[in-house]
Amino acid sequence: MNATMSYRRPTRVCALFLSLIAACVPAISLGHDFIPGAPQDRPIAIVGATLHTVSGNDLLDATLLFEAGRITHVGPGATLPSDTEVIQATDKHVYPGLIEANTDLGLVEINSIRATIDSREAGSLNPNVQAVVAFNPDSELIPVGRANGILTALSAPTGGLISGRSALMQLDGWSRDDMTLKSEVAMHVRWPSDADDIQQLTEFFEQARRYEAAIADQQVGNAQPRDLRLESMVPVLEQKTPVIVAVDELDAIRSVIAFKRRFGLRLIIAGGTDACRCAVQLKSESIPVVVTAVYSNPSRRHSPYDEAYTLPKRLHEAGIVFCISAGGRFGASAIRNLPYNAATASAYGLSEREALRAITLSPAEILGVSDRIGSLQVGMDATVFIADGDILETPTQVVEAFIQGRRVDLRSRHTQLYEKYSEKYQRASK
Amino acid sequence: MNRFFFRIAVLVACTTCCVASTLTIAWVQAEEPDTVPDVGVRFQPPTSVLLKAAHIVVSADKELATASLLLQHGKIMAIGNELVPPGGVEVIDCQGKYLYPAFVDPLVEFDVKPNESPTGYWNSNVTPERRMAESLHVDKAKLKSLRKAGVGMVLAAPNSGIIKGQSCVLSTADAPLNELLHRSDVFQHIRLYPNRGNSERYPTSPMGAVALARQVLLDADWYQRAQQAAAANARLPRPDSSAALQALEPVIRARQTVVIDGTNELYALRGDRFAREFLLKLIIRGSGREYRQLDALAATGRTFIIPIDFPDAPKMNTEVDMLDTTLQTLMHWRLAPENPARLEQAGVDFVLTTDGITKPAELLSKLRSAIAAGLSEHKALSALTSEPAQLLGVEHLVGTLEVGKLANILVTDGPLFAKETNIEETWVQGGRDRWKAELTIDPRGQWKLINASDSVELQLEISGEPDELSAKIGLPTAFATAQGAKVAPADNPKTSTESASSQNKEDATSEKPIKVKELANNGLQLTGTFDAQKLGSKPNGRAWLSIVLLQDEGKPLAVDASVLWSDGSPTRFHATRVSPLSKDSPKADQPAESGARKSSEDEQAGSERPPAPKPPGSDNKNKPEASVADALPSVPCAINYPLGAYGRTAPPEQPDVLLIKNATVWTCDQAGILEHADILVRCGVIEQVGQNLEPVKDAQVIDGSGMHVSPGIIDCHSHMATDGGVNESGQTITAEVRIGDFIDSNDITIYRQLAGGVTTSNILHGSANPIGGQNQVIKLRWGSLDEDLKMREAPAGIKFALGENVKQSNHAGGSSRYPQSRMGVEQLMRDRFEAARDYREHWQHPERRANSLPPRRDLELEALVEVLEGRRWIHCHSYRQDEILMMLRLLEDYGVTIGSLQHILEGYKVADAMAAHGATGSSFSDWWAYKIEVLDAIPYNGAVMHRAGVVVSFNSDDAELARHLNHEAAKAIKYGGVEPSEALKFVTLNPAKQLRIDNWVGSITVGKQADLVIWNRSPLSTLSVCMQTWIDGRKYFDREQEQIRQQQDEQLRLKLIQLAAAQPGDKEEEANDKDPSLWWARYDEFCHHGHGHDDDREE
Repeated sequence: MNATMSYRRPTRVCALFLSLIAACVPAISLGHDFIPGAPQDRPIAIVGATLHTVSGNDLLDATLLFEAGRITHVGPGATLPSDTEVIQATDKHVYPGLIEANTDLGLVEINSIRATIDSREAGSLNPNVQAVVAFNPDSELIPVGRANGILTALSAPTGGLISGRSALMQLDGWSRDDMTLKSEVAMHVRWPSDADDIQQLTEFFEQARRYEAAIADQQVGNAQPRDLRLESMVPVLEQKTPVIVAVDELDAIRSVIAFKRRFGLRLIIAGGTDACRCAVQLKSESIPVVVTAVYSNPSRRHSPYDEAYTLPKRLHEAGIVFCISAGGRFGASAIRNLPYNAATASAYGLSEREALRAITLSPAEILGVSDRIGSLQVGMDATVFIADGDILETPTQVVEAFIQGRRVDLRSRHTQLYEKYSEKYQRASK
Repeated sequence: MNRFFFRIAVLVACTTCCVASTLTIAWVQAEEPDTVPDVGVRFQPPTSVLLKAAHIVVSADKELATASLLLQHGKIMAIGNELVPPGGVEVIDCQGKYLYPAFVDPLVEFDVKPNESPTGYWNSNVTPERRMAESLHVDKAKLKSLRKAGVGMVLAAPNSGIIKGQSCVLSTADAPLNELLHRSDVFQHIRLYPNRGNSERYPTSPMGAVALARQVLLDADWYQRAQQAAAANARLPRPDSSAALQALEPVIRARQTVVIDGTNELYALRGDRFAREFLLKLIIRGSGREYRQLDALAATGRTFIIPIDFPDAPKMNTEVDMLDTTLQTLMHWRLAPENPARLEQAGVDFVLTTDGITKPAELLSKLRSAIAAGLSEHKALSALTSEPAQLLGVEHLVGTLEVGKLANILVTDGPLFAKETNIEETWVQGGRDRWKAELTIDPRGQWKLINASDSVELQLEISGEPDELSAKIGLPTAFATAQGAKVAPADNPKTSTESASSQNKEDATSEKPIKVKELANNGLQLTGTFDAQKLGSKPNGRAWLSIVLLQDEGKPLAVDASVLWSDGSPTRFHATRVSPLSKDSPKADQPAESGARKSSEDEQAGSERPPAPKPPGSDNKNKPEASVADALPSVPCAINYPLGAYGRTAPPEQPDVLLIKNATVWTCDQAGILEHADILVRCGVIEQVGQNLEPVKDAQVIDGSGMHVSPGIIDCHSHMATDGGVNESGQTITAEVRIGDFIDSNDITIYRQLAGGVTTSNILHGSANPIGGQNQVIKLRWGSLDEDLKMREAPAGIKFALGENVKQSNHAGGSSRYPQSRMGVEQLMRDRFEAARDYREHWQHPERRANSLPPRRDLELEALVEVLEGRRWIHCHSYRQDEILMMLRLLEDYGVTIGSLQHILEGYKVADAMAAHGATGSSFSDWWAYKIEVLDAIPYNGAVMHRAGVVVSFNSDDAELARHLNHEAAKAIKYGGVEPSEALKFVTLNPAKQLRIDNWVGSITVGKQADLVIWNRSPLSTLSVCMQTWIDGRKYFDREQEQIRQQQDEQLRLKLIQLAAAQPGDKEEEANDKDPSLWWARYDEFCHHGHGHDDDREE
């Protein structure tokens, strides 16, 4: 496939290519048909493009070189190794892969079909369950998101009080073994409104503390039996694993902050509609916010009509670390619209630069992987994509994408069906 | 006929004469002829009563300063200054008292017995034949509560159903129903929504309820015609008997008035329209929200029954309360008491009701608020007395204090509307309730109990309210200690735990007086029991106390007390009262004094004389209770519409000439995109589009430099702005229901979408049924009333639906409703089309069925006839290609062209067939994967259909998504490469074509309505912001003015919050329960496309 190929119109080549693939892959009803990219076997240089480094300034007419899955050069002109594959990308834009920081991608295929839902375990306290265990590498939703530059996603369990642990997944690969970027990113908590539920949550954290102490006590005769739930809480109490708490309203956010203080947690807030009302605390406690719903209606009848649209701008002005997610109301099927969530925040006051950061470097920082992804810097994973315009603008096409240097297939069930039925009309027009 | 009543009165009088509050002195008229045989020896006491020397308010127009009222057998026999009462008359001295006619409440709902009529209507919500006189459940407690509030006569109305039944007029006396009933079958009562929480049986929604009510009235008319036809032609089949339809005959002939519940201001207008449609005589049962649409409601010319249950101040206990309480809630709290005054000033004909008032005492306080807010006292009184009496046709019985009317009288201790005036007595049909608790003998005070050896042994304290006395007993030293202890905490504040624990010890040690339990007072004797502990030499353990009250004429009260101790030994005490009342129970002071003063026994005994009554009309009493607004800094609060934040006080001005200059104009017609172009609008219509237009004198000019102007966004699939429920899911075919009956002009979503450039929206019925309800196209003229939102030019339409939703495939708990398959869907639709054909045939050629009853109008089939005749456009929810083809082929069989295919996510598979049919496609840009039938949904769908020649739009089906449909349009470029100028048509011209309104809107074309959006950059840019939205050449949204508006609204909100927080007394928790517009869904709950994705699925 040509690096600059556009998907605006299906071509006969495309269809041929498709039928070739179809010939060698058996038909699988719930599993997409796209072969994961091969490991990078020679240097690749993207030349002549605008590099949106995110960590630094945009670089015009610059070169991005990556070798063995890592970025080795970012900047104007470079001495390319002799076997370098050069992608001429004049007038194109290169971005670090976009990161969706809050989704059930891979855990839910079709909402209305129970058999396809693996995002929620029974009971309300499930800290022990891990998204990485049930992540479906062949979900049809993965290529769809990937095609718009979403190259990494935090797949998180949902429901209950403690939903479980999330995993940061690269959106290309054969299985969890090569797709997992980080297997245990955060513990996910849904902050309850009911006082009894808050009490239950508190007691559980207390139990976890005692469990931690019991395990630490090496005295003979004090053999604490293993408890999978409590054991999984130990890294949380040790601040190795952050807690992502879904919470929107002011009093609940305040309670969550108190809860964090009480148990000494690394807290990340997801949602945060009223976050700006306790900006001082969030800032002084270094609590970041994952904005989950830019495309939301105002929370109250008298709220400003653009309340949700301006939330990222207001967080930014308040000095609160935040990122933007698209995994809110419409679930993983809509994560391809991540850049438009950021763009809307930008239309309503956030700078375009910050908007881009909010879906690349910021989520990488919040999720603890900014040393691997989220910006174009030497030494980082070559998880990048090339677009034919500003990625915040809807008509822009992603034309090429790499995850750790592996060139990924940008087709999806959607392009397949598009090609199939385009063929129908092309035949008819003959 | 009063024998039963009398016996109870005698019994009560014998046992509890100390407390008069629960006692009704019966009117006995034993000498009157009676059809009931006598049993035993007759009671025939004298029966006349003279209410002497009162200030008598005969009516709102007439008062007698000092006059008497003679009552006999429940009626007013005479009124005047110098009445000579008959011998044996009971004289009640009413010096200083005011007498008013008791209130007449024009609408009180009562529970009804289940309707089991064998000749009822098929739908159990329709029970016009129900007569309250027969099916009323007499709730004695409710009647008493009404009497306590001052109500002597009520209209008793049924409390459930849609066509609920016929009310009767009852008096509120404590008597058998036959004595209470004064008029039957007064009004027919209608409510235009079903019971909440019913999701199974038709109708499940308000729009279904209205459709049902319409059909019932048509059926009532048909029933009369069918009866006549059958009577005239013996060969005709006999129509089934229907008591229900027969009962509506006086309604449809306008002989019987209907009362329709106007549960908010929109329901009031709907009630009026419904009555107009069927030429009914109407009274509107109001909501207290009439002030929001005063002009429109006044214009109906109807009579209103207005509640005065004004809300309490919103709760302001927490920061969250403060943040969450909407301006609308606050303004309603502030403005609701003005409602009656505003109605009065607008000349609206109205009467008042106690409806909604739960505590009897609140009636007067609410009335005083209304008066403080401007209601005249004259109107307040007549709207509760003479006017409702007239309305209910009982003006000859009640409403004024005149000879010959019922003895329905209020006795008050001052002018009715003055602050602190209380209703002391309510007389209904001569029956008397005394609400003021009084003690015939007041034993309260400190008593020394002196034993046989004349030494003070114990002390007794009796205190409390007249109807709830309490007592303590102990050694005199204990009382001294107790007094000391009571002072201590005040002087030397201790922690609350300490004082609490000291109180706990109280009963256990002798250092504190011991509480007497089970204290009972029968007027002559007090009895009780206590746990004796350390009472000198007395045995510990349970002891029993008995106190006989000895009131000799002219002497102080004495008591004779005895205690039976736990060992069985008795002690007798004499007692003397050391003080009438305990010094350390000041609370008991006031009632005891007044109790003593009012006690006739005391007067006879020559003890304290009652103080002279306060002169009537003394300043402090005559002034109505100060309102909230008086007591606190006034907060001017102009009424806007919709009430609260974002509301308007007037429609936006329409400039005669508007000129937008030098903008990038996306015409969405053949002219394409014009750079540096001008748009000239005259009187709301586009007059010229082009570069460098000639300046026009007095034009309002907008500099469009750097700006983009597009036609208003049109959303072809929305469920906003309807409060009638999105789905009528009680039947599979609901062609008769109309979204247009329930346009909710209050929906804040309208404004939010205006701010995203939406100017026109197609409000569709949901997808519960193969054939759903009729849609309504609206223009987002925010601030206008429901009818003015409707786009008059839009042709009629109807929702159809296919696939999973109508099969109920995703119903929790399964479903067995027909259809369960796409095969069944097709058959059901075909069958209905056949039915519609038959129906049309019958109406067009009744002569071909000479031996049939006359044709009956059927609103469901009429709508389908309009479909068959091409006068009503189908908008069909569809996903899979098979069902799309099914629909097109089925319609082709009947020669019908479809209006639009909605969702149409597999349209790309059959775009050729769609084009061949002439079908249009209104799709989501990129939704997929939320259920099986959308697994093959692709975002290229729009582009493929477009290239195949199908008119394509992208819609929202979602209150939020509609706010950025321009982003959706841009996806047609991304997925399939549609040209930008064509892509924008997906949300402008193309939906206009699909709705057949493209002659008026959808593009910036000369002659079209000036529905325009000004953007700060290309509307297809995700980075663009809607700056202004114009409809009909009026500016409904302006982002630059938003800041000012928000500040103004927020300042008002903050002021009202301060006012609310400063209010004493009860606080309102949530008022949502009273607003019917919040009771039904605002989205298609059958659609399963991720509304509140995270929350809905998981709980």
